[in-house]
Amino acid sequence: MSVETISPAPIVRRRLLPRRLTLVVGAGILLVFLVLALTAPLVAPYDPIYQNAEVRLQPPSLAHLFGTDNFGRDILSRVIWGARIDLQIAVIGVLFPFLIGTTVGTVAGFFGGVVDAAFMRLVDIILAFPFLVLMLSIIAILGPGLGSFYIAMALVGWVSYARLIRAQMLVLKSSDYAVAAVSLGFSRTRIMFRHLLPNAIAGSIVFSMSDATLVLLSGAAVSYLGLGVQPPLAEWGVMVAEGQSFITTGWWIAVFPGLSIVTLAFGFSLLGDALGELLGVHE
Amino acid sequence: MSGTLLSVRDLTLTVQGEGGPRTLIDNVAFDLREGEILGLVGESGSGKSLLCRSLVRLLPSLLIRMESGAIHLQGRDLATISDAEMLKVRGGEIGMIFQNPTSHLDPVMRIGDQIAEGIRYHQRLGAGPARAAAVEILAQVGFPDPKRQYDSYPHEFSGGMRQRAMIGVALSCDPKILIADEPTTALDVTIQAQILTLLMDIRDKRGLSIILITHDLGIVAQTCDRIAVMRAGRLLEQGPKRQILSNPKDPYTINLISSHPSMPEGTAAAMFVPAEAPVAGLPRVKPLLEIDDLHVRFRTGGSLFKGGAKTISAVAGVSLQVMPGETVGIVGESGSGKSTLARAILGLNEISSGHVSFDGVDLAQQRGAGLAKLRREAAMVFQDPYNALNPRLTIGQTLAEVLKVQGKCPPSAIRARVEELLDLVGLEREFATRKPRSMSGGQCQRAGIARALAVDPKLIIADECVAALDVTIQAQIIALFRQLTETMNLTLLFIAHDLAIVRNLCERVIVMYRGEIVEQGRSEEIFARPQHAYTAALIAAIPDIDPDRPLLSRPAPRCDLLPMPVLPAETMP
Repeated sequence: MSVETISPAPIVRRRLLPRRLTLVVGAGILLVFLVLALTAPLVAPYDPIYQNAEVRLQPPSLAHLFGTDNFGRDILSRVIWGARIDLQIAVIGVLFPFLIGTTVGTVAGFFGGVVDAAFMRLVDIILAFPFLVLMLSIIAILGPGLGSFYIAMALVGWVSYARLIRAQMLVLKSSDYAVAAVSLGFSRTRIMFRHLLPNAIAGSIVFSMSDATLVLLSGAAVSYLGLGVQPPLAEWGVMVAEGQSFITTGWWIAVFPGLSIVTLAFGFSLLGDALGELLGVHE
Repeated sequence: MSGTLLSVRDLTLTVQGEGGPRTLIDNVAFDLREGEILGLVGESGSGKSLLCRSLVRLLPSLLIRMESGAIHLQGRDLATISDAEMLKVRGGEIGMIFQNPTSHLDPVMRIGDQIAEGIRYHQRLGAGPARAAAVEILAQVGFPDPKRQYDSYPHEFSGGMRQRAMIGVALSCDPKILIADEPTTALDVTIQAQILTLLMDIRDKRGLSIILITHDLGIVAQTCDRIAVMRAGRLLEQGPKRQILSNPKDPYTINLISSHPSMPEGTAAAMFVPAEAPVAGLPRVKPLLEIDDLHVRFRTGGSLFKGGAKTISAVAGVSLQVMPGETVGIVGESGSGKSTLARAILGLNEISSGHVSFDGVDLAQQRGAGLAKLRREAAMVFQDPYNALNPRLTIGQTLAEVLKVQGKCPPSAIRARVEELLDLVGLEREFATRKPRSMSGGQCQRAGIARALAVDPKLIIADECVAALDVTIQAQIIALFRQLTETMNLTLLFIAHDLAIVRNLCERVIVMYRGEIVEQGRSEEIFARPQHAYTAALIAAIPDIDPDRPLLSRPAPRCDLLPMPVLPAETMP
């Protein structure tokens, strides 16, 4: 159907939750975790790494709401302290790939030609390896630890952003307002970053929210494999890994940190949806 | 021309919006007689397409509901029949053709098969007879070699032939009513004339009734028997063509008719050529723009390994002079190279050979200096008003940026200058804080013109800048351009495919065909006595709002219509 001629009928999508509710719930979940992380020393009932042999493997009770693990550490306190590290993973693990990818994509898409070809072949090479395998090898080379994880994430994660932005730039650079900007004597940098990038970036911002979930899960996976956060530091992925051997006798050890991961991921994805609507990605 | 075939009564459609139901089609009633062509006229958004789609229950959204109404087609009420019965009505009794044939034909199916498909479904014919019938239809809609062309795919044809094919598909089921939704809007004038003639032919041969949806009153005047005018979901006025055109009742219809560019009043443009206007060819005035044997070629096709790249000449040896203060129209069909020429002048396309010099600076020889000068003294206005403005910036920001980057006025004065620019193009000052999304097409186009004026240009190039607008808005924008060129000593290069508009606005016309200038001269000369056969064909194809000047059959030079203007005694450049 030719869209121009049916303009009087706005095609309204039916949605699961109203836009405002999606935004409020998503942002609310993130906010709760953020507050918990910032006030961890105040709100956590126990020391997250203090081992108390007398209360080993206690099921959830009033004293220990989430129970205790095999070293007698309080799971609730560890989950709260873990929020600090996991939020950090989600934010830093997304921020650097986002910045690198956006810059590369903008430049490659705008200039095209050799620059574009070179960057896109690099992207192809990175995509040729399975994501986790590449991550793990980089971390293995750099040595285990969160720092290595962030570097590996930045080296591997930018490709999706670069591709997203580049595709948008290719479309936008032939738009009339880009041509108008050229004809008005604006510099390339100005056209690229003031006129085209703001119009190209909405999709990437939305993607970065779901990417935060993926980063969180790969952070957990890497820690689970012993290459990320090192024990006894509390991190949800590590906690799930540790609880694994007790899953039949002490389900609460793995379940509560696992639920935290799911909830935080849910918050990110709701926020991503709401941002998408706000920024007009679906229009 | 006897009984009533289709009769619509009290049709009301509403959409369930966020703020409660909104009425889209308000209590519309009309009749369609056998063998009649009914012209449904209105601006975009007036609900004319929606109305026709609702007849066959093809509504664009689930949220749109038919509140009330009856659609009687030969004793049945289409509003109440079941969906299964409606399937038989669609195509079988009411066929539809659309604006853009490219997107409505299946690209991976042979043209003939697309026609035969309907025949097999609705008439239950076997493969052999269906093919024969399809070939017959292809011949009827003007395919020169239907047997062979049956096996061609849509991409092998031009836009006009595709539209013929789509008419063929619609005819395949032998409908009683054909709904044609802006069937020629995407086509060039000469092709448009052919398609309209074809539609009238088919009506005569098959006794078909046609509902022709269009925004162009000229088309209606040329083809229809009766006219219905729609606006904002309401049918304002309907009646026999001549009655509506000569004696419109509704103020909106009157406005619509007077906005039509083919109105004789338009030729006044030719009259106001001021005596002191710089006369082309006189040595003392230096041309603002000089183009000498300009070629622009694009490489296309071919691959890294096979080669075989072809070169397409978009502009092939154009020479042209534009004097300061002149208003020059460039006309031609799509693909004639007018836009490429415009972009080459502004240094947005590479020049393959030849010279473009702007105000004495040669763009080929001193590219840096030439470009710098162009950027500060020339500006462009684009076709699609929405796409031409950065959607993330307010109009104020857009204008202020131009002023800031070009350093044309001190930072403290930018605000005042922005407001002055908005005044110039007739926009309220509060538009400075609005974004393009919240503005209408005409308002966006005004903002686009304001941006061009912000440069303080000597030259404005307007590339099809009214093609995307409704007629009444078109007339307003043209009036704005006329006023600006008169008061600001602007040189205007106005590119359009619509000759009527160019005749209205421009003193001089340049006709381009396949990258070359085939004819140029004073507007009134060209329109009165076109020298080149192509120009004559273009002029003859304009659908005139006067029904007594039939399409194509009138003699090409129409001296009678144009008042003989007092010409300065000089030859054409």
